[in-house]
Amino acid sequence: MKTIVLMLILGVACGVAPAAESIIIQRADGEVSVRHGVAEVWNKVAPGDVLRPNDTMRTGKGGNVVLLVQWGTTATSKKMSLPPHVIVDMSDIRDLTQEELMLKLTMEKVRGASYQWKNDGMVIPDAAVVHGANNATAAPLSENDIQTGRLQLNGVRVLYENGFFASCVLRAMEVFRLYPALSSSFEHRLMLAEAMEKANLRGEALAEYGAVSRLEGLTSGQQVQVQGRIQTLRK
Amino acid sequence: MSSRSRIGALFCVGVAVIGTMTYSQSLVDARALAVGAYAPAVRDTREFPANPAGLVQMRDWDFSVTTYTGTAPESFGFVFHALSFGKRLYEEGALAVRYAPGTEITFVVPTTLFIGEGNIPASIDREIRYREPFALGFGHRILPSLSAGFGVRYRREEVADIRYTLVIRDTIAYPSASPVTYASSAWLADLGFQWKAADRLSVSALARNLLSLRNGDTGDPLDAYLLSTSPAAELGVGYVPLTALSLFASASTRGNGALSAEWLPGMGISVRGSLFMDRNDASFMQAFSAGLGWTYEFLDIDAGYLRFFDRSSHTGTAPAASFDPAGISNLDLNPYSRDRLALSLKVIFGRVRQSLARIEEVKLFGGIYPSSYEMLAYQPIGKVRVRNISAKPIHAKASFFVDRVMDMPTESQPVYILPDQDSEIPLTAVFNEQVKRVQTLTVREGNVFVNATPAEEYDDKQQTRVLIYGKNAWNGDVNTLRYFVTPDDPAILRYSRDVLLQYRDSLSGISGMLERLTKARVLVNTFAGRLLYVGDPKQSADFVQYPSETLTTLGGDCDDMTVCFASLLSSIGVSTAFVDVLPPERPADGHIFLLFDSGVEPRYGSHVSDNPKRYVVRRNQAGVETLWLPIETTLITKGFDEAWTRGAQRYFDDVEVGLGLVKGWVRIVDVN
Repeated sequence: MKTIVLMLILGVACGVAPAAESIIIQRADGEVSVRHGVAEVWNKVAPGDVLRPNDTMRTGKGGNVVLLVQWGTTATSKKMSLPPHVIVDMSDIRDLTQEELMLKLTMEKVRGASYQWKNDGMVIPDAAVVHGANNATAAPLSENDIQTGRLQLNGVRVLYENGFFASCVLRAMEVFRLYPALSSSFEHRLMLAEAMEKANLRGEALAEYGAVSRLEGLTSGQQVQVQGRIQTLRK
Repeated sequence: MSSRSRIGALFCVGVAVIGTMTYSQSLVDARALAVGAYAPAVRDTREFPANPAGLVQMRDWDFSVTTYTGTAPESFGFVFHALSFGKRLYEEGALAVRYAPGTEITFVVPTTLFIGEGNIPASIDREIRYREPFALGFGHRILPSLSAGFGVRYRREEVADIRYTLVIRDTIAYPSASPVTYASSAWLADLGFQWKAADRLSVSALARNLLSLRNGDTGDPLDAYLLSTSPAAELGVGYVPLTALSLFASASTRGNGALSAEWLPGMGISVRGSLFMDRNDASFMQAFSAGLGWTYEFLDIDAGYLRFFDRSSHTGTAPAASFDPAGISNLDLNPYSRDRLALSLKVIFGRVRQSLARIEEVKLFGGIYPSSYEMLAYQPIGKVRVRNISAKPIHAKASFFVDRVMDMPTESQPVYILPDQDSEIPLTAVFNEQVKRVQTLTVREGNVFVNATPAEEYDDKQQTRVLIYGKNAWNGDVNTLRYFVTPDDPAILRYSRDVLLQYRDSLSGISGMLERLTKARVLVNTFAGRLLYVGDPKQSADFVQYPSETLTTLGGDCDDMTVCFASLLSSIGVSTAFVDVLPPERPADGHIFLLFDSGVEPRYGSHVSDNPKRYVVRRNQAGVETLWLPIETTLITKGFDEAWTRGAQRYFDDVEVGLGLVKGWVRIVDVN
């Protein structure tokens, strides 16, 4: 695994996908707000505002935004529209290279590898059970507001439709982590699988299609659609 | 007989032939006799004056004794020749002494003066005697491949003569004879070198009589018989074309030299042979020698036979008119020497086992950081290159030991090495608690031992310098920073428990999943107001305070605070990780901050923050995904929320926007 990660890092070093250098709001209609960096408050925006890569944009009812995204010194630019009811991180508006995407996914899988230091020649068995957990009764927590998750998934679809498949894959997986209930949505899971396919993640796409086919309550048409994609990928 | 006739007879001197009583005419050892080009072949006390530099090859105590006999019927009879003792004084040096009563030649000028009537000899021969009864040698290894030796020989020259005087008694002159001995002694110093120029090639060089100190009688008749003490140089070469075969050659500025070979067919047997050459001899091809040896662990038995090609000139005698002391440069091999058979015995004591392996090189990868000393038990701190110097494959193990900071030597796994091959063996070290008490940069002696099977003892040993940093030194590698984290330090435990106890009431109503986050917030906020950011003292290595020191001093830089808070959080069961940022374009902006596990599952993330950028979803050690919060520890003094905000911002900018983790300039190292 270390070798794979190293090779991927080398690959990344050879080709780096820059984040957008500037994002300018060309048009903003309806309910549109932005959250800067790690702040928790949403601020209103106006046309001409320049966003940073660590900003997050949200559109509400009737909200429509047109962004002008520019990359690098060559001023490569692209216009991008955000429909109502979406949340999009500006850092997702970029093309990750295949290596970057694979490395990010690999890191997701090997998370915890840094615990391996303990095993470099020194095997200290972990306790099977850690005693002493606090079993005192505590108030149950409510899960994250699923509405916010839906807005984020809508944003993921915007990424998909604009061809940012790598960002789409990573963001969708993140949203499913934060909003597990949304992971049973056929449309969104199918979008994730297709994004993986388009991002040349054939193995991951196959696995995701397989997972989609096992979702409960699929119609026969949906099953046929998924199986068709699986057969195509297997050829 | 009249007095006139008596006086006439007194001065009647005839032509004489010098006869020799040669107590020694061969090199002082059977092996040396058979390996004539001996200077590059010296390896113990056997004929060590040939090159004292070879003494460094002795293992421990060394004792050798030699006897010889002439092979002609008239000279047959074994004579005690020499006794030598040697001792390896320290790893790189050895000393040897020799007592050689047999290194002696005596020339007798027969009677040519007759007193009285009837030509009856009256015991008035002249006797010329040369001896070298004592020799001392000291060898020192300067480099692994170069050794030097210093030798001193004591030589004594004597002429025993008769002094005649006329005594007038009753008007008649009577001759009166009285024995007189004229003696001179000299201390002669030699300097020798042995250099292993390559695996199979060795070179020796000697300066003979480099220094000489003479005292005693002078004048007639002694001056005519004194041996030369003029300096001379000798050069020798040893070459090993095959594992079992060694070839030697030597030459001297005195015009003599030898070619020799030594073959080890196995079973401890040695077969030797040499050709001696001397341009001062009657025949340039002076002699040949042959010998056999047998070695068994601590014992060497050798036999050597020397035979001259021109036996007519090596009879042990010479015409008085042609006798030339200048031709004698070696009491053991000179123009008057005769064929000889020598037998020798060598015994070694102490470390008697034959070495199977030799240390070629020791290399340490760096100094010792006491903070991460436990890791060194499993990660090599250096390596030793070991060579198999035996004729069979060996399993070699290396041990490493530093006095006082280690309880006992560590031992490596055995490494298989073929004959004449070398291999690198990693060195590990298990340090004891003493190493954490090293306050400042210290240099200690480190001992490296190599042991080859099936033996029990060390085949070779070498010392190297071990650099031990002070206990607060850090090598800058974030992987080792975690060794400064001491959650079980009583001071840390006491502090965190005291704080939480203080806030017991407010903590009691917190949801179980938010408990860690709340406790962390309380712990950080309580300590934060008392802290001050202070840079490292000027040091050669980065300086990291142990958490208990930060608790005491209430100040530190980013790594001190990161380590301290990691310890505090770990002490209440919160997992932590270091985030090491080293931007490639801005290495000066290198920074470390902290991630800690809130224990909150992602689905409850909104209870931590509405903005997912303020946390990181990571799997913990149990494989469960939880939310980890980045904390900028240098801003701890401004409170938990500010430190969290800045930490989260930095994490998002560096990891998500800058892709630092993907590109490798951001590393996350879990502490516990």
